[in-house]
Amino acid sequence: MAVSYSSSLSSFAAAAFSETKASIAPASSQAVRFASISSARPFIAPLTSNSTVLRNRRASFVTPRAAAESHSSPTSFHGLCYVVGDNIDTDQIIPAEYLTLVPSNPAEYEKLGSYALIGLPASYEKRFIEPNETKTKYSIVIGGENFGCGSSREHAPVALGAAGVAAVVAQSYARIFFRNSVATGEVYPLESEVRVCEECRTGDVITIELGESRLINHTTGKEYKLQPIGDAGPVIEAGGIFAYARKTGMIPQSA
Amino acid sequence: FYCTQRQRRSGSRCTHSSFRPPPFIFLGNQTSLNLFAFTVSGKKLQSFRSAERPQAMASSTIASPSASFIPTKKELGRSAFSPASSPFSVPKCRKSISKKIVSVMAPQQSERKPAATGSVKTAMTMTEKILARASEKTHLSPGENVWVDVDILMTHDVCGPGSIGIFKKEFGQNAKVWDREKIVIIPDHYIFTNDERANRNVDILRDFCAEQNIKYFYDIQDRGNFKANPDYKGVCHIALAQEGHCRPGEVLLGTDSHTCTAGAFGQFATGIGNTDAGFVMGAGKLLLKVPPTLRFVMDGEMPDYILAKDLILQIIGEISVAGATYKSMEFVGSTVESLNMEERMTLCNMVVEAGGKNGVVPADSTTFKYLEDKTSLPYEPVYSDQQARFLSEYRFDISKLEPIVAKPHSPDNRALARECKDVKIDRVYIGSCTGGKTEDFMAAAKLFVASGYKKVKVPTFLVPATQKVWMDVYSLPVPGSGGKTCSQIFEEVGCDTPASPSCGACLGGPKDTYARMNEPKSVRLLLQVCVSTTNRNFPGRMGHKEGEIYLASPYTAAASALTGYVTDPRDFLQ
Repeated sequence: MAVSYSSSLSSFAAAAFSETKASIAPASSQAVRFASISSARPFIAPLTSNSTVLRNRRASFVTPRAAAESHSSPTSFHGLCYVVGDNIDTDQIIPAEYLTLVPSNPAEYEKLGSYALIGLPASYEKRFIEPNETKTKYSIVIGGENFGCGSSREHAPVALGAAGVAAVVAQSYARIFFRNSVATGEVYPLESEVRVCEECRTGDVITIELGESRLINHTTGKEYKLQPIGDAGPVIEAGGIFAYARKTGMIPQSA
Repeated sequence: FYCTQRQRRSGSRCTHSSFRPPPFIFLGNQTSLNLFAFTVSGKKLQSFRSAERPQAMASSTIASPSASFIPTKKELGRSAFSPASSPFSVPKCRKSISKKIVSVMAPQQSERKPAATGSVKTAMTMTEKILARASEKTHLSPGENVWVDVDILMTHDVCGPGSIGIFKKEFGQNAKVWDREKIVIIPDHYIFTNDERANRNVDILRDFCAEQNIKYFYDIQDRGNFKANPDYKGVCHIALAQEGHCRPGEVLLGTDSHTCTAGAFGQFATGIGNTDAGFVMGAGKLLLKVPPTLRFVMDGEMPDYILAKDLILQIIGEISVAGATYKSMEFVGSTVESLNMEERMTLCNMVVEAGGKNGVVPADSTTFKYLEDKTSLPYEPVYSDQQARFLSEYRFDISKLEPIVAKPHSPDNRALARECKDVKIDRVYIGSCTGGKTEDFMAAAKLFVASGYKKVKVPTFLVPATQKVWMDVYSLPVPGSGGKTCSQIFEEVGCDTPASPSCGACLGGPKDTYARMNEPKSVRLLLQVCVSTTNRNFPGRMGHKEGEIYLASPYTAAASALTGYVTDPRDFLQ
């Protein structure tokens, strides 16, 4: 089942999308110049972040509420990948001691991002975020089974999103993490059909073509099929649970 | 009969939406039972009913080779159709000195396709019924997405401020919550700390509750003396139960993964994130996907060295940390019926550790008795229909179960406690929503009494879940001790003084949290190794990444404290 997002592109987002698309060379080409991290971020209507934060991160974006009403989804992601294993639980994604940071507070939102994946054991030689940095250079996280298991803390997808992750490609997800990713729009949760985590290495250059459900590893030259988004599709397309509820008449239009 | 009793007592109408089935409902004509061809360790056994579709068997493979039970066709035949009175008998394990878990479990059975059963179309499981009623639908099937009315929304100090931020952003700065009596706000995670942000988060909750006139806010202002705070309770899931907010048939959502604990009351209870909670605060409903149900039938008399924690660790070890993802876990059987409410809460508490969406235990006289003095709100229990379809069914003979631990670093890293007797530990932690209730401390105290008041060999940290539990620890007499309280017994054997009630070090918390695992190395050992009655043991769960956590029952934790090694409680209880 192909997921088509191109039909819901609105004009303001189209300008940003064309920037992303233009910078992606054909898969076979070695000379790939990929877009900066900020333009690889999904244009999903944010639900938690203050609009100021968003304006800083997304060049041509508008305030959250307006965005929710004229929402559009991205068509692709592009960047370096960071590979983790199975059962990456929420304590590894964002250890409990950082949960005093409130995600809906813009300054604390940024701080949360700086601690993303800091709970990974020392066996992960490459750090997700360099010691004196607050953002990651890896915009795509590739995981194994049961990604995001453990706590219901929304701080987990928020920390990844705040750090600069655009999408996660895992073999499977724990349900609360998946749901929180969809609800917040912080990271796009995609499922692979095979163990992509064993075929990619941290630092590989990746393109994800959403419309074609395809992941391309430019470094190895291999391509992988992704699973369709399923029931979460309408919610993501609408722009999150609030936008979906307004669209379907469950709650009134903006307060 | 309990229905009539309730009617007489309260004078209110007690309705059941379906007749409550007897414990062994899956025998005989139960359409959910399927003992057709299944695969055990790759070997296909012949079916002894009419032809079954092979593709249905793909999902019925026994996943773990450590489930060493390999029944013969004859044994299965006998057990499948044996009369209700004789529980499924398990042959002796074929290995002589087994390193594997002793066979206590029947192979999972997968459901029959509807066309083959002639099942009633409207038959539903308990979870499906609760969600159907809450979404005003006559019938629901797994996989449907429905808008569900919420009876109770719970939040605490870690996720409350974020949820409130979203609520205000999306519904407006002056918006009012959908129902000031249906939101229960319980600070419990980072309370007894000097961390300024943690303290500020409780202030945020207080301001919101004042502004919205929230009826149930269990506040704390004097952190130096928890007893000076009359409203303060402690661990949210235990407080919800003790304050009567858990009622059969209802929908309870909370911003905490262990909200599933409340399923012990026969309700739908699950954890959600800040965004969903912010939505519920304003709308009073949420879009939920109906989960299929896995049924766990536990029969046999519970040995007196086994607790509910052993049961759930056994199950999680069997199906793995993702074995119940997006599914409901229903616990039935004579053993489950013999459990008191707190033990049932322990069982449902760790449903999330198997990936489960929610856990349920059918409400019965034990439930109603517990609720008698706690709530005056009317409630309507629901029960799975006789013809309800379950995704899979697992059967256990609990009388054969041995004490279990989950080794580092996963709740499904199951082992027998006695197999770990050479593991040296440096601390024991008894606390949390999983293992810090009154019954849990009673169990630990009973073991200390049975041991003859031996002294503990390692620091033993005790963190009662709530104020009420703390008071029970200091006032209730422990059977067999000649009238001593838990606290007296704990003091006599050298445990730490019971601490202020909260989530404590279960999840690490701010660096100054009592009993947190902070050091990579201790003086005597290379690592910090803890036996804990808590719920997760992923790397860094209780503090330092390299700390090792063995999840265990209160009996096993107490026994381990006495030896300084992971210890089977039978060493002291038998």
